[in-house]
Amino acid sequence: MGPIIELKNLTKKYGNLVAVDHNNYQVMEGEIFGLLGHNGAGKTTTILMLLGLIPPTEGTAIVDGADIKENPLQARRNVGLLPENAGFYDNLNAKQNLSFYAELADVPEKVASDRCEKLIDMVGLGDKRPVKVGAYSRGMKQRLGIAQSLVREPKVLILDEPLQGIDPEGTRDLREIIRGLSKEKGVTIIFTTHVLYEVNRLCDRVAIMKNGVIAGLGTIPELRKQVNAAEGEDFEQVFLRYQGVV
Amino acid sequence: MAGFLTMAKKEFYDIIGEKKFLLIFGTLLIVILVSTFQGGLQYSSSQSSTTTTTTMPGGQVPGGQGPGGNQTRPIQFMGSVSGLSQALSSMVTNFSLVGGVLAIAISFDTINSEKQRGSLKTLLSYPIYRDSIVYGKYVGGLLAVALVSVVTFMAGIGVFLGVTGLALTMDTVLRLLIFFGVSLVYMAIFLAIGLLLSIVLPQPSTSLLASMIVWLSSIQLIPNLGYAIGQILYPVRMTFREGGPSFTMQSGFTTIRAIISGLSPSTAYENIVNSILTTSELQFTSNQATIVSVSVDKALLTVAPSLIYFVGLLIAIFAVAYIIFTRQEIR
Repeated sequence: MGPIIELKNLTKKYGNLVAVDHNNYQVMEGEIFGLLGHNGAGKTTTILMLLGLIPPTEGTAIVDGADIKENPLQARRNVGLLPENAGFYDNLNAKQNLSFYAELADVPEKVASDRCEKLIDMVGLGDKRPVKVGAYSRGMKQRLGIAQSLVREPKVLILDEPLQGIDPEGTRDLREIIRGLSKEKGVTIIFTTHVLYEVNRLCDRVAIMKNGVIAGLGTIPELRKQVNAAEGEDFEQVFLRYQGVV
Repeated sequence: MAGFLTMAKKEFYDIIGEKKFLLIFGTLLIVILVSTFQGGLQYSSSQSSTTTTTTMPGGQVPGGQGPGGNQTRPIQFMGSVSGLSQALSSMVTNFSLVGGVLAIAISFDTINSEKQRGSLKTLLSYPIYRDSIVYGKYVGGLLAVALVSVVTFMAGIGVFLGVTGLALTMDTVLRLLIFFGVSLVYMAIFLAIGLLLSIVLPQPSTSLLASMIVWLSSIQLIPNLGYAIGQILYPVRMTFREGGPSFTMQSGFTTIRAIISGLSPSTAYENIVNSILTTSELQFTSNQATIVSVSVDKALLTVAPSLIYFVGLLIAIFAVAYIIFTRQEIR
C-alpha cells in the first residue's frame, strides 16, 4: 500500500506564532494514524490544512493524489471529517441530518436512504431515530458525527478528538468501528486524541507534535525505542518524554 | 454549482419552519391588512365625498372654472392627486418597518450560528465550494422573503381592492408589480446586511444587535441626520414682518436632506415606491394649478438614480459578504 497523504514542508504561521512547522511525513493507505500532542500543538491546524479549510503558509500536502493548494475540492472529495465539537441541526432527526450531508456529497437519494439507516444502526442510535438531535446528549451527537463522517464512504477518515464525551461503552463501539473500517474496508484513519490508552490499542503509527514540530514518528514500539522507554513503562510516560515533561 | 441547491432548499425550509419567522410574518401580515383596509376606506370616502375645489392665489379655482381659468376638472383629494400612493402610504411605511425586521430576523445568524453550532467545519469538509454555501443560504433566505412578500402583497392588495371596489387596469397592475419588485429588493438589502454581519461577527447575539442598529439607522438616524446637516448648512431663515415672524426654507436644505436621507435604504425605498404609485400630481404654473397624470415611464425615470443606488447597494453589500466569507479562515 502506498501513501494516501503526503505532507511536504507543511507550515502554518499566525503572525509570529508557528502553529505547524515544516511537517514532512506520509500516511499510508488503510492505516490507523494517530496525531498526538498537547493542546495548541498544531494537530487541528494540520487537519484543517489537509481539508483545504485554511491555506498553508509554506509547503503543501497531497491528499489522494490532489494538491491541497491547487485543488482543495478534489483533495477533500474522498475525505470524511468528524470535527472537534461537531454540531448538528437540532431541528432535524438523525436521518434528516445524515440525508442532508449525503445530498451535499452527491450520494443518490435511494443509496443515501439505505446508507443513512445502516450508519444510524452502526453507531448505536437505532432506537433514537425519531428523536430530534436537539435532544441528544453529547455522546450521542459524537456517535452521529461518526455516522456523518462515513456518509460519503470516504477513503480517508479524519477524526478530531472522537472520544470526547463518549462513555466507556461508546469508546469500545468506536474502537470496533475504527478497526473494522481500517481492516475490512481499507479506510485510512487519522485521529487526534488525548486518550493515550486508546492510541496504544488502535494505532498502526503515531506522530507526536510539539509546538508545531513533529517530535516523534513511527509505530508505538519504535517510539518507545527512540526515547529508551523502560520495559513496562506505559505510553503516557513515553508521550510525556517526547513533550519534554519527563 | 455542487451543493448550492441543497443549501438553498435546506435554508428555505429551516427558515419557514422557525417560530420567529412565523411570528414576524404574522405581524407583518396583520399590519399590512389593517393598513390597506384603512387606506382603502380613506380612498373610497375621498372618492365619494371630498370632491373639493381649492382657491389659489389670485382668486382662481384650480381645476374649476374660476375667473380666467380654463380647467374644468375639480381636484379630488386622495383619489386623483396622487392615487395609489396616498391610499397605500401606510402599507409602504409598514412594509419598510416590519419587512426590514423580518429580513434581519432571517439572516442575522446565517453563518455565525453554523460556526457556533460546530457545523460549519463539517459543511466545508464536503466537496463543495464556499460559494455554494453563501449563495445557497442567501437564495434560501430570499425565497422565504419572496414568499412573505407574495402572500402579504396579494392579501393587502386584495383587501384594498375589495374595500375600494377598484377595477385593476394594466397601469395599476404594472405599478403594483414594480412596488412588489422594489419591496423584494428592499428586503434583500436587509437580508444581505444580516448575512454580512453574521459573517463578520462571531456571536449571533452581537450580529443581531448590530443588524438592529443598522435597521434603526435606516429608519431613524440617517433621515434625522439629513435633516440636521441640512439645517446646519442651510439654516431656516427667520424674518420679521408686520404679521409676525416668517420662516423661509432655503432650497439647499431640501437638497442636502434629500441626498443624505436617500442613503438610508428605508427612505430610498419609500421615495421610490411613493413615486411609482403616484398616478397624478398637481402642477403649478404662474397662477394656476393643474392636475397632470404621471405615467409609469415618467415615474421610473424620476426615481432612476434612487433605483440604481438601491440595486447597487444590494450588490455591494452582498459582494462584500461573499468576499469576506470565501477568504475567511475557518478555525
